[in-house]
Amino acid sequence: MIVNDIEIMFGGQAGDGSLTTGDLIAGVFKRMGLEVYTYKDFPSRIRGGHTNYVIRAGERTNYGMADFVDGLVAFDLEAVEVHIEELRPGGFVIFDNTSDQLTDAVKRDDVTWYEVPLAKMAKEDLGLELVRNTISLGVLGALVGMDSEIMKADVAGVYKRKGEKVVDINVRAVEAGENYVKEHFGEWPRAYGLKAKPDGDRLIMMGNDAIGYGALVAGCRFMAGYPITPATDVLEWMAKYAPRFGGVAVQAEDELAAINMVIGAAFTGVRSMTATSGPGQALMTEAIGLAGVLEIPIVVVECARAGPSTGMPTKTEQSNLNHLIFSGHGEIPRIVLAPGTVEDSFYLTVAAFNLAEKYQCPVFVLSEQALCQSKATLPKLDLSRVEIDRGKLVLDPVVFGEYKRFAFTDDGVSPRVIPGVEGGMHLAAGSEHNDAGVITENAKNRTRMMDKRFRKLDTAKPDLPTPLLHGDPQAEIGIIGYGSNRGPIVESQDRMARNGIATRFLELRTLWPFPEDEVRDFIADAKHVFVVENNYTGQLERLIRYVVGPLERMHRVLKYNGRPFHPIEISDEIEKHADVRPLVKV
Amino acid sequence: MAVQLTPKDFATATPSWWCPGCGDFGVLSALKQAMADLGKIPKDVAFVSGIGCSGKISGYLHSYAFHGVHGRALPVATAVKLANKDLTVIAAGGDGDGYAIGAGHFLHAVRRNPDITYIVMDNQTYGLTKGQSSPTSQAGYVTGTSPQGNPDAPINGLSIALAAGGTFLARGFSAHPKILVDLIKQAVAHKGFSIVEVMSPCVTFNKINTYAWFKENTYYVTDDPNYDATNRTGAFEVLNSDEKMPLGVIYRDSRATFEALTHLPEIPVAHANLDAHAPELATIMESYR
Repeated sequence: MIVNDIEIMFGGQAGDGSLTTGDLIAGVFKRMGLEVYTYKDFPSRIRGGHTNYVIRAGERTNYGMADFVDGLVAFDLEAVEVHIEELRPGGFVIFDNTSDQLTDAVKRDDVTWYEVPLAKMAKEDLGLELVRNTISLGVLGALVGMDSEIMKADVAGVYKRKGEKVVDINVRAVEAGENYVKEHFGEWPRAYGLKAKPDGDRLIMMGNDAIGYGALVAGCRFMAGYPITPATDVLEWMAKYAPRFGGVAVQAEDELAAINMVIGAAFTGVRSMTATSGPGQALMTEAIGLAGVLEIPIVVVECARAGPSTGMPTKTEQSNLNHLIFSGHGEIPRIVLAPGTVEDSFYLTVAAFNLAEKYQCPVFVLSEQALCQSKATLPKLDLSRVEIDRGKLVLDPVVFGEYKRFAFTDDGVSPRVIPGVEGGMHLAAGSEHNDAGVITENAKNRTRMMDKRFRKLDTAKPDLPTPLLHGDPQAEIGIIGYGSNRGPIVESQDRMARNGIATRFLELRTLWPFPEDEVRDFIADAKHVFVVENNYTGQLERLIRYVVGPLERMHRVLKYNGRPFHPIEISDEIEKHADVRPLVKV
Repeated sequence: MAVQLTPKDFATATPSWWCPGCGDFGVLSALKQAMADLGKIPKDVAFVSGIGCSGKISGYLHSYAFHGVHGRALPVATAVKLANKDLTVIAAGGDGDGYAIGAGHFLHAVRRNPDITYIVMDNQTYGLTKGQSSPTSQAGYVTGTSPQGNPDAPINGLSIALAAGGTFLARGFSAHPKILVDLIKQAVAHKGFSIVEVMSPCVTFNKINTYAWFKENTYYVTDDPNYDATNRTGAFEVLNSDEKMPLGVIYRDSRATFEALTHLPEIPVAHANLDAHAPELATIMESYR
């Protein structure tokens, strides 16, 4: 039987190359025409400490992690000890027995063990211990039926920069791994027999790369940020590409400087953004209020991680929803978008820049570690769908005295000049101001100005990314979620459908202004509504209650251990409710 | 055709909130004069200020003015310059704004050396919150928050800037308008990060560092014909002397600006061509095959 769905985990010590190896194997799967999702579970340190990299490949799109791991490539005993329970019965382990030996305690008898002296072979047969990981690729490929030619070509591609010698030794390392399987494990078991098909017009991209690319395509030409896991990739991406397009990326001294720089550049007319995670987001809060009251368009990418405080910097969580929506002293209009896939990370980032300029307010793009640092395959991005809409930006001269930067308008959006525009001189003040920008505490003006600023959100409503409906639209069981949970939720729906339970899932892509009408309609005739999210307090579920009132048939499905959901965890929780189960016909 | 503007062309209609006699009036009028003398035009001037009595100054200078949050004028001003290098960018704020809550940014602006001018209006107290001790208040200064006397030693902003690689350091006195105009003009003309610290007495709350006190306790480095403003060691010496407070251009140096080191393109970033369908953008996608 050909099972075109496999999850491989590489486990070892941080810094020993399992991430590079994982990336490589993800590329091979992609070129075999499979859909790929990767998940990095690494410690917040550079050398040492257990790390693992999960690669899922198969025929369905928009994966999350599977319920179980099919194959574990363990570079040391610790990797086995930590992960042996995650293996599917019938799965396998490739174990480097050069220095560690398997203990009875870990040796499950419902999985197949392939002990290979990887490090020893690397050192003695190939003369370079570093190629241990590459040998493991050959072993893995031979066992699960990966395309040997594609693998060797990819290995050659990755090491091309390091010269012919390095390429040669790595290609020989793949072959050594393949040969070892032939010699020691007899006929290739072909347990998975992965079937290659044409790669097609597809990409493989990390969530953070899609955000960086989306920003650049959308015309972002200024970024300031402060290194913080898991958002740093975005700053690195822009530092590489922005200058090639007449832009600039700055590593600031802290997040306070970063966000104020972004505001300064946006004030001057540049599409600008920052990317940060929880702790940095907290520091940026005051200035984001400033951008709100100054009606300056900025894009803030939040790559959420487990908090509070330092929390677990390399782990995933959806605990910053409240922060993005409610943080700050005083009240400002803001928009919060949340992509659920790498592909949507691109399109929603593009949308964020247009929304920011059209409605002159801060726009957040909320991602999470399990999405922003995960790689996935996706269809080629459609640049023809991208239109840059700069809203009411005014570049032609205006008449000083007549022009009012904060003019009261019906749609709440005022024409916006930038420095250098003749006649547009004004004061942009974080203090309350009148339509001309002059600071005032006049009561009438304050009310009008608050009304004007918030009117923008009403105007923006038809422009906001809409929720997506997955599953059976007629189903009585409703699920609501967002972000990285899209993959696991959709997969849990398939599993439940196989058990005869029909479900529909509303994937929210705009979290603020809250899609009140859509959510109200969705839950109106649902027998049960399950809100799936990665936090302790049920922030999204509370938000729904805040909008629609208490609802007895609404349930929380929560996970807050820093790891993304497995589909079975969601379906198990939903199926717990007795009346969710289908009637058994006797 | 260029028309020579006057200080009045840089005035706004907004009435000032400062107390009568405040040193900040002198800073504002010197700034307006300097802008006019340098042939600047309001549309090409971006003026960023912080929070405090001094921070109000941006509302009184006809320009593209920005009055942001407390302590963050320099990051905003740095980014304005990066966004449009053709603008004349000036940041202003008080001793609390620059040397307390914004001290981190001060240090990093100095080391980046963007081509902007920073005017620190130093009144050695927190005026707008009614007279608490500030980072430049003398030790022992008795205030509501330091009833037993200010326990902190005062910060020497220019000395810190010199240590951090500052390229133009000047100090003026708001009661000496002509000289102050000249210092600001030199600072704005300087290619790189220029600091003009202006001693700007608070007549309401600071009863120690008064106009009379400054007249008594300051001198101009140019009084000594042999003073060499390009000599770093000499600058350190006068800045850290226990004698009188030095005024004038204390140090000047030349090194690459932040704009140059970030390889800004010829066209200001704010005027970059935004074409989502540029072939170069599609090429990037190919690297993700």
